Amino acid sequence: MTASISPRALVSAESRRLAATRLSMWGSLAALGSGGFVGLLALVGPENFDPPAPGLDTAPGVRAVLGLLGLCAFIPALLGTTAVASEYRHRTITTTALFAPRRWTMLAAKLAAYAIAGLAYGLIAVTVAGAALFGAAAVKGVALGLPTATVLALLSRIAVTMAVYTLVGVAVGALIPNQVAAAAILGAYFYMIETALLLVPGVKELYPYLPGGATAALTGFTFLADALAEQTGGGAASLLSAPLGATVLLGYAVVAAVIAVVVPLRRDIT
Amino acid sequence: MNTGSWDIEVHGLTKVFGSVAAVSDLGFTVSPGTVTAFLGPNGAGKTTTMRMLLGLVTPTSGRATIGGLRYTELPRPAATVGAVLDTSGFHPDHTARDHLGVYARLGGFARSRVDEVMDLTGVTPFAGRRTRALSTGMRRRLHLATALLGDPHVLLLDEPGNGLDPEGVAWLRGFLRRLAAEGRTVLISSHVLSEVEQSAEQVVVIDRGRLVAAGAVADLYGEAAVRVRSPRAGSLTDVLLAAHGGAVHVTDLGPDTVRIHGLTTADIASAAAAHAIPLHEITPERPTLEQAFLHLTGHH
Repeated sequence: MTASISPRALVSAESRRLAATRLSMWGSLAALGSGGFVGLLALVGPENFDPPAPGLDTAPGVRAVLGLLGLCAFIPALLGTTAVASEYRHRTITTTALFAPRRWTMLAAKLAAYAIAGLAYGLIAVTVAGAALFGAAAVKGVALGLPTATVLALLSRIAVTMAVYTLVGVAVGALIPNQVAAAAILGAYFYMIETALLLVPGVKELYPYLPGGATAALTGFTFLADALAEQTGGGAASLLSAPLGATVLLGYAVVAAVIAVVVPLRRDIT
Repeated sequence: MNTGSWDIEVHGLTKVFGSVAAVSDLGFTVSPGTVTAFLGPNGAGKTTTMRMLLGLVTPTSGRATIGGLRYTELPRPAATVGAVLDTSGFHPDHTARDHLGVYARLGGFARSRVDEVMDLTGVTPFAGRRTRALSTGMRRRLHLATALLGDPHVLLLDEPGNGLDPEGVAWLRGFLRRLAAEGRTVLISSHVLSEVEQSAEQVVVIDRGRLVAAGAVADLYGEAAVRVRSPRAGSLTDVLLAAHGGAVHVTDLGPDTVRIHGLTTADIASAAAAHAIPLHEITPERPTLEQAFLHLTGHH
C-alpha cells in the first residue's frame, strides 16, 4: 500500500476533470479561433489595415501580426481562473478536499494539469496562426520579412506565454475563488492598471519586472515599451531575456498560488 | 498504519463560529460492526461535528479522530473513510461515470472500482448521463458510490435519507446494515427519527452542540409501561402500591386511566382479578423513539 496519493494520480485526475467538461471544447475552439483570426489578418495583409501598417515582407509587418497573437494569451489566462472557482461553484470542493486533504497538493495538481492544457492551447493557436502566416506569404508571392527560424522562435515563445498565462490564471483564480471577479481583476490589470502604473514616476524602472514587461520580454513584442520610451523621452526600457521574463511571470503565479494556499484554501469548507 | 479498530473518537470537541458555540465539549465513541445514528434537531451541531471529523472544519479545541488519527493525518484518507455530505455537488458537464473516474484517480484506486461501486449503488443505469440531468435520488446514489470508491472502513453520512423516495430509504437501510455487518463503522446523522429507528442499533444524541445521550437504541426507550383503564383505577393503584411498594410507579392519565411502570400485564391483571376490579383496557406500551428523544433533549 502506498504511503500517500501519488502526484501522478492527482494530475491525471485533474486532467480528466478538465477534459470531461465543455470548457475543454470551448478552449480548443478559442485556440483555433485566435490562431485563425490572426491568420486571417495575415491573409488580409497589414498593408490593408486602417491605418496601413508595413506589409508581411517587412520585419515590422510580421511582428505586428504575431504581436496580435501574443495579445490573445489573455484568453487561456481567463480559462485558467475557472480551475478552482468551478470547484466552489459546483460544490465539488468538499469531495475534492476529502480525497486530497492537503489542500496545496490539490492546487499543485491543478497547476500541473493546466500547464499541459495551456501548452496544448498555445500549440494549437500558433500552429494555426503560423500555417496561415506562411500560407498568406505564399499566396501573396512575397517572402516574410523575418527569417523562418525567427518566426518559428517567436511562435514558440507565444505558445509558452499562453501556457504561463494559463498558470497565472489558475493561481489568481485560487486566490480569488469567484470566477467573475478573478477574470475582471486579471483583465483590468493587464489592460488598464499596469499602463496607469507606468505613469507614476520611477515605476518605469520596474517595468521589466512587472507582468506586462515580463510578457513583452517573453513574446518579444515591445510596442508598449517602445511607446513608453517615446512618450517619456527616455531610452527604450531594457527588457529581460525571454527565459527570465518567463521566470518572472511564473514567479507571480507561484506567489499567487502560495498566498491562495495560505489564505482562502485553508479556510473551513462549510 | 492502523490494523486494529476503526473507532470514531471525539474528545472535548468544541467549535466556535464568531461568538456562537456550534459544538461544545462534545465526546463520544462510535464502534465498528453496527450502524450508529447521530441524532439531533436541525442546528444541533451534527454537520459541524462531521466536518471536523473529516478535516473540513478546524476545531476550536478538542480532538476528532478515526482509527486514532485525525483525518488529515490518515495515509490514504479516501481508502479509510467514505463520506457523504449534504452540500456536495457535481460538475454539471460530467457524466456519473466521469465524476467517479475523476475521484477514482484522485484517490489512486483501480479503474475497475468505478464499475464495481456503480453496480453496488445502482448507478449503472444512468452512468452515461450528465449530472445536471440527475434526479435527487440518483444524486444520492452517486454520492454514495463516490464515498465507496476506496472500499473504506468507515462511513460518515450526513442526512442520507434526504430526498429519497420510500423505496430508496428501504434500500439504503438494508445497504448500510450490510456494510456494518461486514465490520465497518457506520455513522449516519439524521433529524428524522423514524428513519434511523429501523436501521441503527446505537445512537449518539446531541442538542445545542452538547451530548445528550449515547448508547444502544433499546436503552433509549427506557422501561416498558402498561396502560390501564378501569372505573376503579384509584382502588387498583392502592392495591398495587400496597403489594409492591416502591417498585411501582403510577402516573394518572385521566379520570379512569393510569400508566403503570414496574409491573407486567400479568401482575396487574392477576391483582385486579383477586380484588374483583373490572379492567376495561390493559395495554403494554413502549415510548416511541420520538418521545424518548423529546424527553432527552428537553423539548417537551
